[in-house]
Amino acid sequence: MKNNIKVERAIHNITQAKLAEMICVSRQTVNAMELNKYVPSTVLALKISKIFKKPVNEIFFLDASD
Amino acid sequence: MKSRFLFSHKYKPLGWFLFLTGMVLGIVFLIKGDDFLSMEVKVFTILKNGFLSSVSPSSHLMFNNIIDEIISLLIIVGSVLVAFSKTRDEDEYISKIRMESLIWATYVNYIVLIIAIIFVYDFDFLNVMIYNMFTILLFFMLRFHYLLYKSKRIISDEE
Repeated sequence: MKNNIKVERAIHNITQAKLAEMICVSRQTVNAMELNKYVPSTVLALKISKIFKKPVNEIFFLDASD
Repeated sequence: MKSRFLFSHKYKPLGWFLFLTGMVLGIVFLIKGDDFLSMEVKVFTILKNGFLSSVSPSSHLMFNNIIDEIISLLIIVGSVLVAFSKTRDEDEYISKIRMESLIWATYVNYIVLIIAIIFVYDFDFLNVMIYNMFTILLFFMLRFHYLLYKSKRIISDEE
């Protein structure tokens, strides 16, 4: 799975640390998601979609390996 | 996120204290032998017909220098608290690192044990068994904290 959290962060001008705080996770988690090293839980994906005010499937996408 | 079976973060410093005290005493114990601190105490035993034991068959009471028992308990209780207390920012990704580290530690521990079973014999194997009481938790602690350190370092590299 891929995501454009990094792009959305840039649009909303939110740092990794700030986003981590907003969705109540560690900074490592935000970083790991942006590097596609970690697939978040549905709960976390919904929290992120709420912050960026976009549907989940405009932030997270399946890729060829899924 | 709620994580089951983990201790609160505040037990982590206590865990480190017990663990390090146990390790220091344990190393002194290994170098100087069990008479470096004599704590001869009357103890109650549930298993009394061990071939090396000095218990009379009619009694469950015996005398024992309990320094090795204290050291073992310090290391085990300490490392369980260090290993299974939440990190300050425990979340789902850290839980994943935790679980993967535990699987890794179990594999490494039993690979080492299998090698020891094949290549260590007789009374020397007793030493292997003694170390093996602690190694699974030690391997876990090393792996888990190394991965946490690595993921934190990636963040600071990005800044």
